[in-house]
Amino acid sequence: MRWWQIGKRDAEAERELRSDLELEEEEQRENGLSPEDAHYAARRAFGNTVLIREQIHEVWGWAQFECLFRDLRYALRRLLRSPGFSIATIVILAIGIGATTAIFSLVSAVLLRPLPFPEPDRLVWASQQDHSLPGIAPESLSYPDYFDWRAQNHTLEGIASYTGGAVTMKLKGESQRLDVEAISANFFDVLGIAPLLGRDFRWDDEKPGNHVVMLSYSFWQSQFGSAKDIIGRPIRMNDHDYIVAGVMPKEFQFPVRNPAPVLWMSLADDAEGKSPPSQQRGFDVLRVVGRLRPGVTIAQAKADLSVIAANLARQYPDSNKHYTSALVEPELTHMIGDTRPVLRVLFGAVSLVLLLVCANVAGLLLARGSRRSAEMAVRAAIGASRAAIIRQLLLESLVLSVCGGLAGIALAYGLIRGMLKLMPLEIPRMQGASLDGGVLVFVLVTSLVTGLIFGAFPAWRLSRAAPARALGEGSRTVSSSKGQLRLHNILVVAQTAVCMVLLVGSGLLIRSFLRILDVDPGFDAKHVLTSRLVVSFNQMKHDQHYLFYQQLLARISGLPGVKSASAGWPLPMSDGFATISFNIVGRSIAVGDEPNELMGVVMPGYFKTMRIPLIAGRAFGEEDGLKGPPAIIINQAFAKKYFPGENPIGRHIQTRLGDGVFEESVREVVGVVGNIKSMGLTANADPQYYLPYAQAVVTNPYVVIRTNGDPAAMQGAIRSSIHALDPNVPIYQVETMENYLSKSAAQPRFQAFLLTCFAGIALVLAAIGLYGLLSYVVAQRTFEIGLRMALGAKRSDVLGMIVRRGFVLTLAGLGAGMAISAVLTQFISGMLFHVRPIDPLTFAGTAALLLLVSAAASIVPGCRAAYLDPMKTLHEQ
Amino acid sequence: MGKQAPQRAAILQGTLDMLILRTLLYGPAHGHQIGKQIQRTTNDFLQMQHGSLYPALHRLERRGWVTSKWETAPDRNREFKYYRLTEKGRKQLTVEESQWKQMSEAVARVMWPAAEES
Repeated sequence: MRWWQIGKRDAEAERELRSDLELEEEEQRENGLSPEDAHYAARRAFGNTVLIREQIHEVWGWAQFECLFRDLRYALRRLLRSPGFSIATIVILAIGIGATTAIFSLVSAVLLRPLPFPEPDRLVWASQQDHSLPGIAPESLSYPDYFDWRAQNHTLEGIASYTGGAVTMKLKGESQRLDVEAISANFFDVLGIAPLLGRDFRWDDEKPGNHVVMLSYSFWQSQFGSAKDIIGRPIRMNDHDYIVAGVMPKEFQFPVRNPAPVLWMSLADDAEGKSPPSQQRGFDVLRVVGRLRPGVTIAQAKADLSVIAANLARQYPDSNKHYTSALVEPELTHMIGDTRPVLRVLFGAVSLVLLLVCANVAGLLLARGSRRSAEMAVRAAIGASRAAIIRQLLLESLVLSVCGGLAGIALAYGLIRGMLKLMPLEIPRMQGASLDGGVLVFVLVTSLVTGLIFGAFPAWRLSRAAPARALGEGSRTVSSSKGQLRLHNILVVAQTAVCMVLLVGSGLLIRSFLRILDVDPGFDAKHVLTSRLVVSFNQMKHDQHYLFYQQLLARISGLPGVKSASAGWPLPMSDGFATISFNIVGRSIAVGDEPNELMGVVMPGYFKTMRIPLIAGRAFGEEDGLKGPPAIIINQAFAKKYFPGENPIGRHIQTRLGDGVFEESVREVVGVVGNIKSMGLTANADPQYYLPYAQAVVTNPYVVIRTNGDPAAMQGAIRSSIHALDPNVPIYQVETMENYLSKSAAQPRFQAFLLTCFAGIALVLAAIGLYGLLSYVVAQRTFEIGLRMALGAKRSDVLGMIVRRGFVLTLAGLGAGMAISAVLTQFISGMLFHVRPIDPLTFAGTAALLLLVSAAASIVPGCRAAYLDPMKTLHEQ
Repeated sequence: MGKQAPQRAAILQGTLDMLILRTLLYGPAHGHQIGKQIQRTTNDFLQMQHGSLYPALHRLERRGWVTSKWETAPDRNREFKYYRLTEKGRKQLTVEESQWKQMSEAVARVMWPAAEES
C-alpha cells in the first residue's frame, strides 16, 4: 500500500482493532463476566482506540504533510466563507502584480536588455557636434567626413555608416516602394553579425557600379520563398539589377526603425552620377555606428574623433566650419534616447500602484485578522499551539497571494500584448518585450512578503493574547490593540497620499494633452487626404517630373468631390524635413557662416489647399514654372527673423540648393505666408521658406487633396486616377491629414491615458482602503455606538462621528500627497506642454475629487453605524 | 497502575519489537494472540498495552519484518488480521537478540561484578 491508500489503511486498522476488541470481549465473557462487564473490561484493556488508530496512522508517516493539507483545506474553506474579502484581495493583488509586471517588463525590454550583438558594450554612436546650434545634436555625417573618420581614427576597431532610403520593386505584379538601408561595406562586421547565407559585403562593393544587396530574413522568406539559390542571382530594383550577396539571420535588425528595412544595399549607388552624394561634404545624411577597440573608453574615442573633426573644420570651412568636435555615446544609450524619461515616469507610477496595492492588502488583512480574535482564542483554548495558529493565518495569506499572483500573471500577459498593440509611439526595441521572469518573481515576492507580514502581524499579536481575556471580550468588542489600529490608520493615510500623487500626475498630463489639442497648427487639416508616389528619377528628367505632377493634379482636381489638389514636401507633422543654407543678397556673410532654415517645395495651389493664409504678396502660380524667374515665399517667422521692420517682398535670397536645373539661383521673395507647426504640435513655429517645385525638383512631393466630404472615402478614386496616368507608379502613405495631426499628439495622449489608468486604479484602491478601515471601526464599536444611541446620541451624531474620522484621515493623506506631488511632478515637467508642474488648478481639482470619493467611501459605513438598532445591538452583545 | 499490580512491569523501551518478532517465530498470530502470548509467557509479569502493541505491529510491517493477511481463525468462525514473520524479520530478530544479550551482560557485569568472578 502506498501513501495515497491512506484511507484504506485507516479502515483496516479500525477493522483490526474492532475484531481484536470483540475477541477480548468474548474471552472475558467466557471467563464468566456478564456481557456488560465483559464489554467494559475489554474497552479498559484496549484503552483509547482513537488514539491507537492515530498512532497507527502516524506510523505510516504522512501526518505532517496531511496536517498542512488539512490546514490548507481549512484556509480555503475560511476564504470561501468570506468571498467578498477574498475576491477583493485577489483582484487587488492581481491588478498590482499584473500592471507592475507588464510595465516593468516593457521598461526592461527597452532600457535594460543589451543590444543583440556580440560585446554590445563596445558599440558606440558618433556624430559631429554643431557649435552653431547649441543643444542640438546633428544625427548625421556626410560621406567624405565619414570616410575621413574611418581612415584616420585610432580608437575604433571599425566604424560603419548607414542611411535610410527607398527603392521601387515590382512585387506580385505591382510596383511597390520598399524601405532599404544604404550601408558601408563593414556594417555587418562592425555589428559582429555574419550573414546566414552567402557572403558579407566587401570593400569592393562600395565602388560605383557594384550593385549588391543583403536580404533580410523576412523579405527572403516572403518574396523568395526562402530559396537558397537566390544567392548570386540578380533582383530588379529601380530598373537596375542588384546581385544578392546574402541573407541575414532572422533576429538581425539594425537600424531599429519602423518599418524595418527589408534589405541593405551597399553605398555604391550614392557614389554614382555626375556629382555623387558620396563626394559632397555638405550633404549630411549618414548615421554611424562604431566598435571601440578593446580597452578604449568613450571619452578616448570622443577625443580621438574630435581631433579629426577639428582638422576637417579647418580644412573645409565651407561645409564643416561649425563641426569642430565629435559626440560619442554608447549605442544603446543613444537608441533609447528620449524614451528614457517617459519610461522612468511609467516605472515610477507603476511602483506607486504596487505600493498602494501592498498597503491596501495589508489593511484588509489587518482588519480581518483582528476580527478573528475570538476564533483564534477558541482555537488556543482547546489546545492549538501558537505555531499552529500563526501557520493557519499565514497559510490563508499565502493562498490569497498565490491566487492573486496567478491572476496577476495572466493579467500581465494580456496587458503586455495589449500595450504592444496600443502603444502608438515608436519606442525602439519595445516590440521584443515579453513577460520578464525576473520582474515577475520580484513582484510576486513583494506581494507575498506583504501578505505574510501583514497576515502574520495580527496572528502574532493574537497568539500572545491570553485566550481567556480575548474570549471574554471577543464576543462583545472585537479586541484589537491601539497599535494595530494606528498601523491601519497610517496605511490608509499613505494610500491617500500615493493616490493623490498619481492623480496629480495624470491630471497634469491630461491638461497638457488638452493644451496640445488646442494648438493651432497653422493649416486646416479637416477634409484633406494626402498620399505619396514614387516617380522614378532614373526614368524621368526633372522637367518631366514636374509635368507628371502637373498633369496628375489637373486630373485629381477634376474628380467629383475634390475641392482642390496640390503637392508639396515636406508635409507638416510627417517625419521629413530639410534645412538648407541660404544667403540674403546684399548681406555679406562667409559661406560657412550662412544661416539655414527649414525648406519646403510646393506646387501651385498648395497654400490654398492646406489653407495656410497668405499674409502679403502672392502665392505660387503657373508663372513660377520651369521657365519662370526663380521665386521664393517665406513665412512670418522667417520675415520677422531676417527682415525685422522691413518689407521682404521684392528682396532676393540665394538658396544653396541645386537640383541640376536651378543651381543655387538667386530668388525674389514674392510672398509671405502664415507660420505652421511643421515639426509637430508641441514644436515651435520655425522660420521656413518655400520654393516652387518646378524650380526645385528634389524629391517626390506629397499629394494633398482637399475634399468636400470624408477624405478617406476618396482613396479609391485617387488611386485609380494615378494609375490611369501611370500604372507602374507605387502609391504609399495614403492618409488623411487629420491622421498626421493625431499621430503628432499620440505620445502625450498615450502617456496621459496610461497614467490616468494608474490613477484610476489608485483612486479605487484608496476608496476601498478607507471604506475597509471605517467598516472595521464600525464593526468594532458596534456595542459602543449602540450604547451611545441608547443614551441619546442622534443618528446624525453617529454618522458625523464616522464620516469625520474618514475626513480627518483623507485630509492627512491629502496634505502628505500634495507635498510629495510638489516634489515629484518636477520629474514630468519635460512631458508637460504649457502646464506648470505645480499647477494650482490640477492640485485643487485632484484634492476635490479625492475628498468627494472619500466622502462617498465614508458615508456607507457611517450610515451602517447610524442605522444600527440600539436595542438589538445591546441585546445581542 | 503501579498501585494495582506491583508485580508487573512495563515493557522496556525498544524491546517490544524483539518480543513480537520472537513470538511470531512460533507461527502466524493476530494482535490479540501476540499480546496474550507475551503476557502469558511471562506469567503476566510483562504488562502488554494495546496502545503500544498495535502501532508496533504496523511499524514492523512498514519496515518489512512482518507481513499481514486477513485469515479465518480455526477455532472461531471469524477473520482476524494475522501477522507472519518474513525472512527479513528473522534476520532482524537475530540482530536484536544478540544486541539484547550484549546489553544485558554488560548491565549484569556492572551490577553484580562478584557473581561474574565466582
